[in-house]
Amino acid sequence: MTDAVRTHGLFKRYGQQIAVAGVDLVVPAGSFAGLVGPNGAGKTTTLSMITGLLRPDGGTAEIDGFHVWRDPVEVKARIGVLPEGLRLFERLSGRELLTYSGRLRGLPKAEVERRAEELLTVMDLTGAADKLVVDYSTGMRKKIGLASALLHNPSVLFLDEPFEGVDPVSANTLTEVLRGFTASGSTVIFSSHVMDLVERLCDWVSVMNQGHIVAQGPLEQVRGGRRLNEAFLELVGGTGHARGGGLSWLGAGARQPAPAPAPVDEPRQDAQ
Amino acid sequence: MSTVALFARLKLRLLAGNLRGDLQRKLGFLLTTVVALGTAVLGFLLMSLLRLAPRELAVELVIVAFTLFLIGWMIVPLLAFGLDDTLDPAKLALFPLPARSLAIGMFTASVTGVWPLTMLVVTSGALIALPTGIGGLLLGVPAVLLQFALCVVTSRLITTGLSSALRTRRGRDVLAVAALFVVLVAQLPNLLLNRGFGDPEALLAGLAGVLRWTPPGMAAHAIADGGLTGLGELALLALLTAAIGWLWIKALSRALVTPDVSTQAASVRKDSGWIDRVLPDGPLAAVVGKELKYIRREPRFRVGWFSAIVVTLILSFSLGRTAGEGGPGGPALPIVITAFGALMIALQSGNTFGFDGRSLWMNAVTFGSERDLGTDLAGRHLANALIATPLLAVIAVATGLFTGHPGSILPAMLAGWGALGIGLGVGSMTSVVLPYGVPERMNAFSSAAPGQGGQAFASSMGAMAGIALLSLPFLVPLAFGLLWVSVAAPFYGLLVEVLGRRLAARIGFARLPELMAAVGKAS
Repeated sequence: MTDAVRTHGLFKRYGQQIAVAGVDLVVPAGSFAGLVGPNGAGKTTTLSMITGLLRPDGGTAEIDGFHVWRDPVEVKARIGVLPEGLRLFERLSGRELLTYSGRLRGLPKAEVERRAEELLTVMDLTGAADKLVVDYSTGMRKKIGLASALLHNPSVLFLDEPFEGVDPVSANTLTEVLRGFTASGSTVIFSSHVMDLVERLCDWVSVMNQGHIVAQGPLEQVRGGRRLNEAFLELVGGTGHARGGGLSWLGAGARQPAPAPAPVDEPRQDAQ
Repeated sequence: MSTVALFARLKLRLLAGNLRGDLQRKLGFLLTTVVALGTAVLGFLLMSLLRLAPRELAVELVIVAFTLFLIGWMIVPLLAFGLDDTLDPAKLALFPLPARSLAIGMFTASVTGVWPLTMLVVTSGALIALPTGIGGLLLGVPAVLLQFALCVVTSRLITTGLSSALRTRRGRDVLAVAALFVVLVAQLPNLLLNRGFGDPEALLAGLAGVLRWTPPGMAAHAIADGGLTGLGELALLALLTAAIGWLWIKALSRALVTPDVSTQAASVRKDSGWIDRVLPDGPLAAVVGKELKYIRREPRFRVGWFSAIVVTLILSFSLGRTAGEGGPGGPALPIVITAFGALMIALQSGNTFGFDGRSLWMNAVTFGSERDLGTDLAGRHLANALIATPLLAVIAVATGLFTGHPGSILPAMLAGWGALGIGLGVGSMTSVVLPYGVPERMNAFSSAAPGQGGQAFASSMGAMAGIALLSLPFLVPLAFGLLWVSVAAPFYGLLVEVLGRRLAARIGFARLPELMAAVGKAS
């Protein structure tokens, strides 16, 4: 099996701070891969560099065997991206946004419109299709963003926190679509810090911490018989300080009770 | 007192935080500071030099100046709402701050900064200009401080009162376009004077006579008076400032518990699709369609186009009058005005990616080669030209008839189109070489993200210089009456546009990530 994504020593620094310190990310083709890590681990930076949106300070990245920075034409035709923060072209309607991004990739208009219509139906956005994206809610934005990332039928899909701020119904729609997508042999890579979700969806996991990949492989191998959450906390060392000795002031035991109210003659009548 | 220190520190931190680790922002901030300091020194000097003017005139001028300051404070922060994080009370809603300390804090935050300081310095110039004796000086210090406080408190009251409206998209859209009227109104006195409505001194005296009874007018008058009347005026002013302050606190406490109201969105019209009937199916048609929609829907675009037209109109009015009196110009005048209009329109494309801001990634993930970026630029230029070409024709015809040189209409039209081509070509270069973020919030006139002002300045100066330089080959012969040269102008403009676009695509594609980072700064 070939690798859909393979990076070697990917490196990025902002001033003094090293955001990504030599990442060797591997994702086999056809897998549903989760990139997990605590906040600030470098997940977003890594994904931005792999998708060609951020220039790395060192290292290489390959998608389907094509070098991201040397073969942008091949790479960009193969990837779909849903970045974090999700700014879209806000003054277009959902339908116009899909049409625009499909045609920008050179697809014929009739084909783009057909696909857009289907995507809107699947994403349950038909009712809002002619409203401006600027007025969309977070869940709707994620869905229209995903639709626009899928429109050109990419072979590798990159999603940065696709489920954050999404209601359960929309999240279900998203996962259904993504499951069907990977079942056909395409690859999905998404970053998240919701372990349950990763455990439920993914068959491949890469764990990042402080700019490094600390574990990577099939889900079963990474979690080694435990829950993924436990394995994760152990890997990133997150169990240390929680009940160590700090925060002694926190909790009901340490709180000063409010001064007692002045005695009232009549007991208060509650509303009936 | 601790609240004051806390908020002053918070504001300074925010200012410093904006600058961290970015040389361009630091330079921009330095430029702003230098300009502000220059303004402060110059304003103070001008103000104090009024002492040498005839006394009547000095008083009148200070009265008018104080009133203008107040109006400025009322309007400018409204346009710049969102440039300053300390000013949005919603951000502080969760802290257990009583409205009073919040008000003190926000007052402190709004007076901490380069521009408020400049304002205070300039205002205090009146202390030299006006007092005739020790009484005037004694009253002058509180008068200046009160005037300053009045400006700050009034501006806060207005932004707070409108803050819930300003947080909805529709409210911001409306206000952004409404800002244009401010510019128009600001031009009024100039136009009136230019068209010769009475002599300026009488006009000034009349104006000051009325404004003298406004609060800022009273402040100015109190300094000049220096006696009991002045004292009374100051007391009145203090009362008024306190009252506005009280209103502001009330508005603040209300704003803190009033939720964001989001407007129920309306559907957009289906577009007629005429672009697709004219252009071949493909990316180019998609870009043109998107750009035309944006020009229609995005307030920043609407403001840009409107102001380009308004500025051209103002220029043609003022120039047209001098020409009518046998001043300079003659047959060349329509040509100059039309070319200027083209320049104003083309300047909007001088930072074309700035308007995309952080959504530029949607384009960037599809750009596999220079050609794709070139197509994008071409689409933007085409959309611009689709509107600008007929518009420039109208300007040419109108100015030609208005100035009484119908023979110049055709050359003016051709020269305008040529200048437009040059402008688009140069603009695509500045777009990729000196990109900067355009704040999305609402302000259509602060053209750059905080800290990127210097870059915006350099970009537009560069664009103007480039356009002017490249226009000389046909503008100079035209000015000397060689009207046949104008036939070549559109072709020359097209050539510059093509070359500029090609070169910009090459440079821009190579530095696409940097381009995205630069325009993504504004939130």
